[in-house]
Amino acid sequence: MNKKKFRKVEPYIWMAPSMILMGIFIIIPIFVILRMSLSKVTRAGIVKEFTGFDNFLKVIHTSAFPMVLKNTVVWTIVVVGLSTLLGFILALILNNKFKGRKIARAIIVFPWATTLVIQASVWKFIINTDYGTLNTLLKTLGIIEKNINWTPTAGAYFAWEIACGIFVTIPFVCFTVLSGLQSIDSTLYEAATVDGCNYWQKLFKITIPLVKPQLTISTILNIIYVFNSFPIIWTMTKGDPASKTDTIVTYLYKLAFYNGKKGEAAAVSVIGFLILLVCSSVYMISVLRKEED
Amino acid sequence: MYTKKLTTKQIILKILLYFVVIDICIFTLYPYFAMFCSALKSRAEIFSVNGTILPVEPMWSNFIDVWKRAPLAQYAINSLLIAGGSTLLAMLCGIPAAYALSRMKFKGKTAFLGFVIVSQMFAPVVLVIGIYKVMAVLGFTDSIVGLIFVNAAFNQAFTIWLLRGTFMSISPEMEQAATIDGCTRIQALIRILLPVAAPGIVTTLIFIFINAWNEYTVALTLISTDTSKPLTVGINIFNGYNMIEWQYLFAASLFAILPVVILFMGIEKNLTSGLTAGGVKG
Repeated sequence: MNKKKFRKVEPYIWMAPSMILMGIFIIIPIFVILRMSLSKVTRAGIVKEFTGFDNFLKVIHTSAFPMVLKNTVVWTIVVVGLSTLLGFILALILNNKFKGRKIARAIIVFPWATTLVIQASVWKFIINTDYGTLNTLLKTLGIIEKNINWTPTAGAYFAWEIACGIFVTIPFVCFTVLSGLQSIDSTLYEAATVDGCNYWQKLFKITIPLVKPQLTISTILNIIYVFNSFPIIWTMTKGDPASKTDTIVTYLYKLAFYNGKKGEAAAVSVIGFLILLVCSSVYMISVLRKEED
Repeated sequence: MYTKKLTTKQIILKILLYFVVIDICIFTLYPYFAMFCSALKSRAEIFSVNGTILPVEPMWSNFIDVWKRAPLAQYAINSLLIAGGSTLLAMLCGIPAAYALSRMKFKGKTAFLGFVIVSQMFAPVVLVIGIYKVMAVLGFTDSIVGLIFVNAAFNQAFTIWLLRGTFMSISPEMEQAATIDGCTRIQALIRILLPVAAPGIVTTLIFIFINAWNEYTVALTLISTDTSKPLTVGINIFNGYNMIEWQYLFAASLFAILPVVILFMGIEKNLTSGLTAGGVKG
C-alpha cells in the first residue's frame, strides 16, 4: 500500500477497536431489540414470525402502562429538577471561602461514589416502620413518641425513592456547577458591587448566565441517567405493588425476566429509547454546534 | 490573621454558613453512619422495637464473620477483575480513538462524535434484552469476560470524551517534531503524548474503574453462578426474601464502598472540569 492511500485509511484503523467494541455490545443489541419488538417471541426468547406492531399495541393497552409512563415522567422531572436546584444552591455555598471546605467537598462526594444498590438498601432500612433508624432517631430526640409508618401507600414509597434519587444526584450537579463558578472572574462581582448591585442582582445577572453551560450539561446528562436509573427502585420496591412504583426500566425488566414477555419488553425498550432520543438529540445538536464555533 | 475587622453582619453570615455546611455534611453522612452502627449490632438488637442509635454492645466480630457467611472474598476478587479488566479494555480501545479524533481529519468524524454523544443515552438496562441475546450467541452469559466487554463498551463514550478533551489541550508540535525525527505515530503517542496527558488519563482510568465496580444491572442479569458475582450483586445474599440480615449486608457494603469513595475523592476535581470541558468546549 502506498503512503498516500495509507494516510487515508489510517484514522479508521485507529478508530477500529472502539467501533468494533461499541458495534457488538451497543449497536447489535439495539437491532436485536428492534427485531424482537416487531416479532412474536417465545418465553425462552426465541424470535418467531414478524408480527408488525402487535407487541406495541399489547403494551399500550396494558392497564398499568399509562401509570408506568406517568411514574417515569414524574421520577425524571422531580429528581432532575430538585437535584439541579439543590445542587446549584450547594455549589453557591461551597464556593465561599471557609475553613474545612476541602473536608466538606470530600464528604459531599460520598453519595456520588457509592453504588446505588447499597445506597437504596440503606434508605430502605432507615425508613422501615418497625426497626428503621429514622424512627429510632426521632424517638431518641423526643420528636415522636410512637413509630411512624413512613410508607403507608405506594405513592409514599415512590416519594422516598425520589428523595433517594435526589440525594445521589445532587453531588454531580454541585461539582459540575462549582467548576463553572470557580472560573468566574471575581472582578466582575467587584465592579457590580461598585455599581451598587445587591446579592440577587449579582446572582441573576452574573452568576447564572455564566454557569449556564455547566447547568445545561448536568441537566441533560442527568435526564438521561435518571430516566435510565434502575437500582434504586429495584432495591426498594421492585416496582410493586401492582406497578405503582414502576418506571419504564423496572417495568421492562420484569416483563423480560420475570413474566417471560420478551417481545413486549423489547417494545417498551424501543418506546424508552425513542423518548430519550428526542432528549439527547437536543443535547447533541447543542454540543456539536459549540464544536463548530 | 485578620487584616481588617469583620463587621457584625459578616460574622453572622459566617456563622450561618458554617451552620448550613455542617448540617449538610451530617445529612450526607447519615446513611453511612446508620450503616456503620447497624453493622455493629446483633440481629436481635437490629430488629428490636425499642432500638437505640448506637449499638448497645458493639459486635466488631460482625466485620470478621461476614467473610465466612458469604464468599465475600470471591465477590471482591470478581469485582476487582471486572473493574480492572473493563478499565484496561476501555482504555486500549479508547486511547487510539481519542487520538484519531483529536489529531486527524477524516470523513465521518463529526458523525462518529455525534454517535459517541448519543451512545451515552443507551444505558445497559434499556438494552439488557438485546445484550443478553448477544451474550448467549457469544457464549458469555454467566461469565465475567462478558461483563468486562459490556462495561468497556458502555464506558467508551466517557473515555473518548474525556481523553479527547485532554489530548486537544496538548499542543501537537512535540509529536510532529518526533515524527520528523523518524518516530512512528504509535511511538509518538506512547513516548510523548501519553506521559504529558497522564493526569487526564489517570482521571479517566479511575472513573471507568469506579463505574464498572459499581455496576449492578448487567451483572444481575447475566451472572447466575454465585461464585462469579461481583460485590454489588453478591452482597444481596443477605437480602433474602424471607429474612434480611442487615448487620452482614451493611458490614459487607462498607467493605464494598470504602475503596471507591477514597479513589473518587482523589479525582473529583479533575473529573468535573474534564466532563464539562469536554462537553462545553469540545
